[in-house]
Amino acid sequence: MTKHVSDWLGAYHDGELHGRQLQQVEAHLARCEACRAELENLQALTALLQESPAAETLTHPERFVAQVELRLPRHPARPAWHRALELGWRTVPLGLFGAWAFVRAVFIVANILQIGLGGGLAAKLLPPGSFDGLYPPPLQGTWLAEVLRMALIHDLSSAGVNDVGRLTLHMLSERMAFIRGGPLGWGLTLNLVSLSVIGLLYWSWLASWWAYVSSYRKSTIGG
Amino acid sequence: MNSQPATPAQMELELITQAQHGDKLAFGELVRRHREGVVNVVYRMCGDAHLAEDAAQEAFIRAWQHLYRYRPRAPFRNWLYRIATNVARDVLRRERESVNVETLPLTASEQGPEAGPEATVEGRERGERVRQAVLALPPASREALILREYEGLSYQEIADVLDIPIGTVMSRLNYARNRLRESLAPYLEVL
Repeated sequence: MTKHVSDWLGAYHDGELHGRQLQQVEAHLARCEACRAELENLQALTALLQESPAAETLTHPERFVAQVELRLPRHPARPAWHRALELGWRTVPLGLFGAWAFVRAVFIVANILQIGLGGGLAAKLLPPGSFDGLYPPPLQGTWLAEVLRMALIHDLSSAGVNDVGRLTLHMLSERMAFIRGGPLGWGLTLNLVSLSVIGLLYWSWLASWWAYVSSYRKSTIGG
Repeated sequence: MNSQPATPAQMELELITQAQHGDKLAFGELVRRHREGVVNVVYRMCGDAHLAEDAAQEAFIRAWQHLYRYRPRAPFRNWLYRIATNVARDVLRRERESVNVETLPLTASEQGPEAGPEATVEGRERGERVRQAVLALPPASREALILREYEGLSYQEIADVLDIPIGTVMSRLNYARNRLRESLAPYLEVL
């Protein structure tokens, strides 16, 4: 009879039984002296365990706290995605500088090429009549598309590498002309707009970084 | 207008959030609040007050390092106990060769300096026997017993702390209690 509820007496003693199970154990206890004795034994065990003292305080609580604070790493660890995000955030100025350098380089190269090509450099580099036979003129589309078009029209396998070189110079000349052309000079406008956007992004980044550092100081120094 | 004062749980959650953002002072306050519980859990596990304090400090440092993993679904105390039991296991593993838990000295509080001579002797003997009986339990059963009997955690909370099913909590507790009832039988009859 005792076996029937002895496995549940611990849970009953701990107040972890509910509903039908609780009713069954209570009903059994009402008629089983052995189980009641076992329950009393469990209660006595809990009382005995409670008599066992807690850990002796060897270090004063405030000293304990101070020791823990001293041993703490500077920052709590952060998840990997958070670290990657912060690393990315820190490299934003580098990316912006790269973008600025790229815009400047394109502008400078455009100037040089325009001046060079416009000044007859292509004519000097290439044999006379190099641009003949390139029509319909390769004004639209990408360089690759134009090369493919030329391949179809002029049969590159027989035309040779020189034709590709001629076309490339021709395309570059056109593109540079576009960049330097326009009412205010497209090149200048693009240059100014792109530099303004880069500057705006940089100042936004700087402001958010300053806010981040301020909030961090506030949380770590406490003021 | 919300003029209601923050509850202790809300205040603790606020401290946890601040600590997660790197606020050491907030974490220090959390240490202050939970020091006793964490030290006791480790102490009951390894039976040495010096080891327990060192291990408790280690547990708090681990908690700081992994604070971003804490989710307020469960009480912070239980999360700390989970770390504390892991640290206690490591301590027991490390100290197995160097410390014999059955021969550890009595702590000052177990010696009961404020009690009378007879009570002191009796209390010392009983305290020592209880301590040894608990320490003689297998670690898995000991953890469950300590969290239930000394820290008052529910079965569900113990299951969460130890990452085991509730059925296993029950069987470990039953096993631990049956073993203790055998080893402490003379003291249970007196009570």
